[in-house]
Amino acid sequence: MTSSIGDVSVCLQGCSSANMAVDITLLFKASVKTVKTRNKAIGIGFDSTKDEIFKRSRPKSGFSPRAKEVISNITKLKDFLLQHRKDYVSAGSLISSDLTRMTDNERDQIDQDAQIFMRTCSEAIKQLRNEAEKKITSTQIKEHRGAVLDLIEKYLRGVCKLYSEQRAIRVKRMVDKKRLSRLAPEHHSRVEKPREVEPVEGKTVKEEGSEKSVSEVLDNTVEHLWEEVRVEDELSPEEIQMFEQENQRLVSEMNNLVDEVRQIEGKVVEISRLQEIFAEKVLQQESEIDNIHQLVVGATENVKEGNEDIREAIKNNAGFRVWILFFLVMCSFSLLFLDWYDS
Amino acid sequence: MAASVREKQTVALKRMLNFNAPPLKNTTAEPVWKVLIYDRFGQDIISPLLSVKELRDMGITLHLLLHSDRDPIPDVPAVYFVMPTEENIDRICQDLRNQLYESYYLNFISAISRSKLEDIASAALAANAVTQVTKVFDQYLNFITLEDDMFILCHQNKELISYHAINRADIQDTDMESIMDTIVDSLFCFFVTLGAVPIIRCPRGNAAEMVAEKLDKKLRENLRDARNSLFTGDNMAAGQFSFQRPLFVLADRNVDMATPLHHTWTYQALIHDVLDFHLNRVMMEEGAGAEPSPAGARPKKKSRRTYDLTAADRFWQKHKGSPFPEVAESVQEQLDRYRAQEDEVKRLKSIMGLEGEDEGAISMLSDNTAKLTSAVSSLPELLEKKRLIDLHTNVATAILDHIKSRKLDVYFEYEEKLMSKSTLDKSLLDIISDPDAGTPEDKMRLFLIYYITAQLVPSESDLEQYKTALLDTGCDLSPLNYIKQWKAFTKMAATPANYGNSGVKPMGLFSRVMNTGSQFVMEGVKNLVLKQHNIPVTRILDNLMEMKSHPETDDYRYFDPKMLRGSESSIPRNKNPFQEAVVFVVGGGNYIEYQNLVDYAKSKQGKKVIYGCSELFNAAQFIKQLSQLGQK
Repeated sequence: MTSSIGDVSVCLQGCSSANMAVDITLLFKASVKTVKTRNKAIGIGFDSTKDEIFKRSRPKSGFSPRAKEVISNITKLKDFLLQHRKDYVSAGSLISSDLTRMTDNERDQIDQDAQIFMRTCSEAIKQLRNEAEKKITSTQIKEHRGAVLDLIEKYLRGVCKLYSEQRAIRVKRMVDKKRLSRLAPEHHSRVEKPREVEPVEGKTVKEEGSEKSVSEVLDNTVEHLWEEVRVEDELSPEEIQMFEQENQRLVSEMNNLVDEVRQIEGKVVEISRLQEIFAEKVLQQESEIDNIHQLVVGATENVKEGNEDIREAIKNNAGFRVWILFFLVMCSFSLLFLDWYDS
Repeated sequence: MAASVREKQTVALKRMLNFNAPPLKNTTAEPVWKVLIYDRFGQDIISPLLSVKELRDMGITLHLLLHSDRDPIPDVPAVYFVMPTEENIDRICQDLRNQLYESYYLNFISAISRSKLEDIASAALAANAVTQVTKVFDQYLNFITLEDDMFILCHQNKELISYHAINRADIQDTDMESIMDTIVDSLFCFFVTLGAVPIIRCPRGNAAEMVAEKLDKKLRENLRDARNSLFTGDNMAAGQFSFQRPLFVLADRNVDMATPLHHTWTYQALIHDVLDFHLNRVMMEEGAGAEPSPAGARPKKKSRRTYDLTAADRFWQKHKGSPFPEVAESVQEQLDRYRAQEDEVKRLKSIMGLEGEDEGAISMLSDNTAKLTSAVSSLPELLEKKRLIDLHTNVATAILDHIKSRKLDVYFEYEEKLMSKSTLDKSLLDIISDPDAGTPEDKMRLFLIYYITAQLVPSESDLEQYKTALLDTGCDLSPLNYIKQWKAFTKMAATPANYGNSGVKPMGLFSRVMNTGSQFVMEGVKNLVLKQHNIPVTRILDNLMEMKSHPETDDYRYFDPKMLRGSESSIPRNKNPFQEAVVFVVGGGNYIEYQNLVDYAKSKQGKKVIYGCSELFNAAQFIKQLSQLGQK
């Protein structure tokens, strides 16, 4: 390959792991120019301007522009998620508020929006797929479109994973936060004089919500405290100590219960995930089982027909035998008759 | 050469598929879809390196042959990966005229000439598609990498550069020139991809010398041309940790004719010898008639199965060089391990079934859910493992059948003894006249090896005896004519092909090697242990790399493309032993040599050896070429 071109320089692609593919696009463009000038010299003209105008008007509602639209939407979602990721995930400390911290409402809003968005995107993909299958085009184009849709789905799944990771972190932080916030007023109730504790405890009870036993125990504690308040003057140091011990015991009991409940929660989540996997596998097997069912039905039909045929054959055989017997008897009778006739 | 050749070529291919931009590391990048068009050369290059799934991941929705019927897909960019031959160029021009795709990225496997580029330009002008031709690249990838350290030149049209083509009696100079040009072009591409300028050494007086001269010239021209040189740039400094240049040893097939005929005992070489093995793909027929078909039923149809032996298959990577009995053992071991894991998963199922209704299940759950989760998530792995075990079981069983029916172990042992000139316990005539030891081809191979390695030419009467025995078993004697000629040509007096000291210790005759319950009961097959020995090519490499002085290699020519003036001398300027070497056999090579080189490299610390050959043939194909040569 001679390099005797005047103003063309070949660019080198250098990168650290060494492939030397040579970009000769500029060389190509130079050849185009040479060919053009050569053609002009010879006198061949190409009407180049006319067709270019017509070529550029691509169909607006073709497959490819719509697919590209879906992709750009998904990219918008991804950018949006990444942009707000830091704020979303930030461990809002209990103490307080930087201005950039999001409120929980905003977070919920983001969750909802993202979910709606993802649902619309997957709907759009399904729609595109149905359309592509219905239209009668060549196999290559069909295959191409199917593969394109697979790629888009994979991309969507990747972005959904981003979203669910974020969410998982958020949920975890919420749970941790609740745990911390529950213990804190307990501490207060023990350290301070147990007078004004009730409102705080009531709030804690409301936050817990589900564990009835826990709230019952809390109520009991509240009652204890009230009793304490009433008869405070008559309590002796030993009784105070006893009550304190009882408090501690109750607190540890509650902690154990809460731990167990959280463990169960975790296990249930795991089980649900496993359930999902199993359901998927079972659905996969459904089609295979359908096939087998069809085959078996076909086989029973064949066997039935075979039985019929065998019965026919037996009947024919029997009938055939009867006729043979009849024929032999007739023959012997005729022989006897001829013999009698002769003698 | 920190990255192996295979990795470099894969990276190059991936860049090309990414429109010649370096691929991003970001996993959730927007998908860009494209169509890949290749010709047969391109297909051979891509298929050992990238699987269809990897192509899909890179956004390739369709991959099509250049010369097939293709429908217009009007809004998709197309990446072409073809050789710059006349017919390919014509087809590309036709595509441009038919406006099949939206934009065209043309990548040529080796450098395209200016005139052909102008052809494409004029076709693009005629079709008003100049703006659509977005990029044109010369990829310099005209070789096929089969393993991390093994490459061949081409698979299609390999008759053009085969041993037969090079050594024919009626070869013309022009033919020879074109063959040499093809070989040199591919070698040049290889070194460009490798990114290093080697020091070339070759023997005198044969095809290898011609190749070396031309390659030296080409490299030198390219280096001189400072503006366009392919070897300058950041990659030279960054990509290499050693400042040494690799050693490039060119060998000719004629230096060692016995190794391609040799019967083998290592796994990969056996597959290549006995089964149909091309480009890392094994094709076997299944369902051979082990079971007699019931009366009246139609004969069972044999189905063909194809298996891909890839780099991801860990068992294959570990055992491709091991002797066959070892392989059989390991497959058995893997199978047992797999069954144990399967049993554990089944046991979990029963546990879960029992404890489902228990109230104490909550405490049990913690343990079992974790186990269940891990079992379920490891299921795909288990399935993959099972598939690989099945694959290797089938392949190894097929090989074992061949070994038993042809008594290949007997041949192997005998040939090893012949090549190491140790005492023979059975005479050659016995083996040749033995009716159930192997096909006529096997016997021919054995006899040729005997003929090649014999110090003294056997007497006429002996030769006649052998010939009649061979003709009785149905062999074709034309290869023998050619070998006689060859032996006369080469300087056999000086250096008889010395195959080194090899020892073969048979471990017990007729031993049932495997433990009971194994599927591979190798009764009657001797368990042979190979002692390390060096075939001629390895010894040549050793001498040259370590700068040892040896009568065989002292006479080798020395080329250094970076030196200003070429010299005729054979004295190397560099006195240090080399750390990296590339061995190339002109005229064809096979897996035995490759395995031997791999073992050699393993035994020396820190040395890397890459093996290449102009074509890869097994003994059957080589014998065919020899008989063609002998018939002239």
